[in-house]
This record gives sequence, structure tokens and C-alpha cells, in this order.
Amino acid sequence: MRHVRGFDVVRPLSIWMLIFMMMPLVFLPLASIFIFGTSSGLGNFWAALNAPEAIFALKLSMVTSFWATAFNVLFGLFAAYVLSRYNFLGRNALIVTISLPTAIPTAVAGFALLLLWGPYGTLGRLLRPQGIQIMFTASAIVLANIFVTFPLAFGVIKPVFDTMSRSLEEASATIGATRWQTFWHVTLPSLRGAIVSGALLTFARAVGEFGSTILVSGNLAGRTQTAPLYIFAKFNEGQIEAANAIAIVLALFSFLIFSVLFFARDWLDVD
Amino acid sequence: MKAQVARIMDSSITPPLPESMPQPAASIVGISKRFGKTSVLENISFDVAEGEALVLLGASGSGKTTILRIIAGLEQPYTGKIMLHGKEVTELPPRERGIGVIFQSYALFPKMTVEKNIGYGLRIRRRRRKEIKNTVNELLSLVQLEEHRKKYPSQLSGGQQQRVAIARTLAYKPEVLLFDEPFGALDAQTRVHLRREIRALLRKVNVPAIFITHDQEEALELGDRIAVINVGHIEQIGTPREVYNNPASEYVATFLGAANILEGTISRGHVVVGNAQMPARLLGDRFKEGQAVKLIFRPEDVLISKTQEFPTGHACLSSGVVEEISFVGAYERLRIRLEASSGACETSDTPFYLTTETPERSNAKPVICTRPKPETNAFRLRTGDRVFLGLSSFTVLPNDARTSATSQPIIKTSI
Ligand SMILES: Nc1ncnc2c1ncn2[C@@H]1O[C@H](COP(=O)(O)OP(=O)(O)O)[C@@H](O)[C@H]1O
Ligand SMILES: [Mg+2]
Repeated sequence: MRHVRGFDVVRPLSIWMLIFMMMPLVFLPLASIFIFGTSSGLGNFWAALNAPEAIFALKLSMVTSFWATAFNVLFGLFAAYVLSRYNFLGRNALIVTISLPTAIPTAVAGFALLLLWGPYGTLGRLLRPQGIQIMFTASAIVLANIFVTFPLAFGVIKPVFDTMSRSLEEASATIGATRWQTFWHVTLPSLRGAIVSGALLTFARAVGEFGSTILVSGNLAGRTQTAPLYIFAKFNEGQIEAANAIAIVLALFSFLIFSVLFFARDWLDVD
Repeated sequence: MKAQVARIMDSSITPPLPESMPQPAASIVGISKRFGKTSVLENISFDVAEGEALVLLGASGSGKTTILRIIAGLEQPYTGKIMLHGKEVTELPPRERGIGVIFQSYALFPKMTVEKNIGYGLRIRRRRRKEIKNTVNELLSLVQLEEHRKKYPSQLSGGQQQRVAIARTLAYKPEVLLFDEPFGALDAQTRVHLRREIRALLRKVNVPAIFITHDQEEALELGDRIAVINVGHIEQIGTPREVYNNPASEYVATFLGAANILEGTISRGHVVVGNAQMPARLLGDRFKEGQAVKLIFRPEDVLISKTQEFPTGHACLSSGVVEEISFVGAYERLRIRLEASSGACETSDTPFYLTTETPERSNAKPVICTRPKPETNAFRLRTGDRVFLGLSSFTVLPNDARTSATSQPIIKTSI
């Protein structure tokens, strides 16, 4: 018997219900950034974006996030290799420890870093006489970013390692490749998708980081102020438009990254 | 059937290699292996001659893959050594051994095209681009995959993937090829087709090869010699003919082909099973009078007759009743219950013997025999028919709890 279209009310109802529920929670807040940000004309929006401090904040965010991402992807790759290729006592404990930073509130993470590297911190105290100051610099922001995004790349790469057949690497070895050649020609290409997704995830998360950054950076405009800190500072000063312009950039930026992650999944995993 | 010259084979001596091959391509000397406390290989030794194909045949879990991995250097032996072309390689990493492994799963590199896979061994050896291209082209035509050169492994069938794996291995001219269950993942038809192809290919490139399989048919067809592995040790090693016709142990007899096994004793140059007896003059003094033995014979070595008269080359075993007849394509298979207590063949030269075994015990076992089509047509049988069974060939082994190939004398008799 043919299905009668008119009777299927559950389907459109569910879809509309879903959209309706998401309205006040997700769509409207996002939409208001764009509506408000452009309400006083594109000219004002452009001017707000072009303020030197705004440009600096965006650049600083990108640069610090880049270094944190580079480090965490390399580290994640290495950690995933070690932890999936070798079996040793305390392996599971290490896996848990690596994954821990995501579970720690970012403010706690920032505070912990201060306690270690701050002028009177455990290590910072020793560095201060050498004239080395880490906190309240761009390096501090990178450190904080590394800490809070630590397990993201690892978490994406490790499962791929685990499921990758050992025989590929063994085949490469019997064919005559060195360990390094095997890693470069055989292991790495199979990880390409995981590495790209891991990097994008880490980067997106690092660009948006606020809680730990505000503690360790000192929040100095034009020196250690990242984009999220800039939004917060301008909002506090009552310069809503300035804050809004950067908010739009950050929102668009995350859209972009997640679209890539979503739509490029197939491309990243092509055989 | 032609009368054959009776032979006695001492299976503790492995058949010598052809004399024209002075040095084996590979020697495996006294290899044993443990994983933790479990011993999986005990004292494995064998040679592979230049250009020879040796098959390691054994049930799953018998340690075949472990032997291969030790030869390849992917696993370290607990004791023993590996020699390749007279050079000891036991301590060398896989890449310095000059071996080629075709993995059970093929292990093709998924992100490389067929071409790239085949050229891999040469690329990492930093050969010239031109040379790589030429070699890849040659190999592509050798394995007939020219039109698939740009494809990725996932776009190929199982058989094609395997041919890529072989070409990839041949590219860097390994001195020994190791195949781990190369046809395991293929359907029956492709399997037969491909193993003939590989056999021909190996003859062409003349590289010694070690195959692993649990499939006896495959072993018989692929191997110049077969080593039968049973829970970590070699039961017997020899040409397919030797291993099939002269099984050195009950395990070999039953694993490689079907075999009937009857328990009996030795008495005055005869194997006595219940009241039946087989003349076995050649047993000589290898068995003690009264020693418990096993009489082993293959289904196709049984000749069925209405009378006790058998052509020369056959000896009458006993009478029996046909219990079941099944048609198995090329031949007919019969299950016949022996009447060993009452139906012994009368022979002129030997008196009637009684054994200590109860008739029930020795009678309980039905035997399986097969008959080729012409015979089936000439002499039709129905269940319930009473027939006489003659044997053209059988093997006598001592009846111990564990029959070891190396420590016990084994007698093979052809009548
Ligand atoms: N890495 C390993 N660790 C522990 N036991 C193993 C390992 N590899 C193989 N074994 C054991 O060794 C025995 C032989 O295995 P294998 O060589 O793979 O047998 P086959 O290839 O004949 O099926 C099996 O009992 C298997 O469980
Ligand atoms: Mg195996």
C-alpha cells in the first residue's frame, strides 16, 4: 500500500520543534551579534575592526594559537605513537593524565600556571634572577593555550593509531624502510585526516580561550591582549561596537573551521 | 593396480636436498619461541633450497605465522638461528635481511596507488626515477595489472590486491619470499586460479619461497616440499608424495588427506586387527611381537570386492557391511563396518589368530573408502551389502599415547 503523505505529521513537527528549541539557545544569540554589529552601518563596523588594538588582538590570538597548535599536534602525534605502539607499566595512567586538562576549569589552569611560572612561582622564582619572565607575555598565552588544548589533537590521533594495522609498518620494514622512512611514507599519510582535524580543533579552541589567558597574560592592551580579552575589555568600557566587530570575526572564524571539519571529513579520509 | 616395491622409510631422516644445490637459500636451525611462559615453537629446523617452494602446513594456532615472523625478523626467536644464503641474520632487523613478506592481509599502503605501492621498495632505496619506472612497468605487466596502475588498493579485488602485494615484494628482488596464508581471504575459485598463477610466477622469477597454509590441497599443489607442523613442532617434512603416501605419524596421516586408523597388534609378521590380519613381512624386527600398533590406510587405497579374491598388489583385510553410500562428485564414498571378528579373510599361509582385544572394540570403527566412477559403474553397491575389503597400501605406526615422528620407527608398506 502506498504511504499517504498527509498522514505523516510527526516528521515536520519534530523538525520544527527542534529548530524552535534551538532558536533562543543558539540561533538568536549568534544572529544578534551580526544584527547589532552591522546596525550602525558597515563603515563603523570596518572602522572598529581597523582599530590598531583590535588588529593586534586578532593577530596575537592567531599567532599564539598557531604555536600552541603546532606544539600540541606534534606532541599528540608523538604521545599517540608511544602510547599505542608500546605497552608498559603506567601506560593507562599516562593516557588519563594527558586527557585531564580538558576536565580542569580554565581559570584553574591559568592559576596553576601562575603558581608555577609566576614571579614568585616554583620555577618562576628561579628564572627571575636570570632576567627571564614568562608570565604576562605572549609566551604565557601560548603556555596557557597548550595546557587547555593539550589532549585535543592526541584524542583525535590516538584512535587512528590504535586501529591502524601493524602489518603496514611491518610490511614497510621488511621491504627495507628505516623506522623514519616507514613513519614518513606509511604511518603519517594514514594520519593525515586525524592530524588536520586535530589541528583545526585545537586551533579553534585556542583562539577562543579566555579563562586561563586572562590570568596569565596580564591583559595589557596592545601587548598581551588576545581577541577574546579585547571583547571583554571593550564591553567593560562600554564600547559595544568595538567588542562586537571582533565578536563577528571570531564567530565567522569558528564557522569556517567547523565547516571545514564537517564537510572535509570525506576528503580528509580518502583512501 | 600395479604391485609396487615395498619400501621402508625411516622418517627421522629428512629427505636430502637436490645435489645440484650446494647451499640452501634459507636454513632455519633449532628455532624455539616463547611468548611469556608459553612455548609456541620447539626446535624447528628446515632448509629451503634455491628456487624451491616449501609449504608449512598446520592447523590454525600451530605456530606457522610465528615461524614466518621469526624468519622475517619481526619476532625474535628464543633459541636457534636463521641463515639466509649462508649468512646468519638472526640479529639483523627485517630491512637488512633481503626477504619479502606477503602478509595475510596483503598490507598494501592505502594512501598509495598501485604504482606507488610497487615502486616503494625502490623509492626508499633511492633508485633513479627512470629505473623505478621501468621496474614498475615490468612488474605491472608480469602481474597483469597495467590498467589498474593509478588505482588505490581499496578499489581492487582481493586477488588483484594480492598481485600488487607480490609485485611490490618482487620489485626490490628479495632473496627469499614468505607468504602467510596468501589465499586465505579469497573465494574458492579465485584461490585455485591464483595459486596456479603464483606457482607459475615463482618458477619464472626463480625465488625460493615459504608458504603458510592450513589447506592440505593447497599444500600439495604449491609445495615442492611440505613441512607438517603440529603444535609448534615439525611432524614430517618431505615432498607432497612422500608426506601423503608415507605419513610419519597419525597426525600427518589425518591432517593431510583422510585416513582410516585401526588398532591392532603385531603377530608373526602380521598386523592383527580383531580377527583380521594383514601380511606385513617387511615389519621385520622393528616391532616387538605383540606390540600395539595402528594400521593406517587411505580411503582410496581400499579395493572392494564381492569375493575374497583380490588382484595382485592387494591384500584382503576383512569383510564388512556397507552402511552408507554418498556421492561426492568425482567419486563415491562408502562407510563400511568391518566384521573383523567373524569375517577374516582366509589366507593359506597363516593360521587363524585370536587377539586379546574384544571384538566390540575393534569392530566399532567403520572405515571410509572411496571408489572412482568406473568402478562404481562396474560394480554397484547398496547399503546392507556384504563385501570384502582389500588394501593396496597401508602404514603401520606404533600405538603410543603420543606418536612422535622423530623417536619411533615407522613402517610403511606397499603391497
Ligand atoms: N604476540 C603474541 N603474544 C602471545 N602469543 C602469541 C603471539 N603471537 C602468537 N601467539 C600464540 O602463538 C601460537 C601460534 O600462533 P601463530 O604462529 O599465529 O599460529 P598460526 O599462524 O599457525 O595460526 C598461538 O597459540 C598464538 O596464540
Ligand atoms: Mg597464521
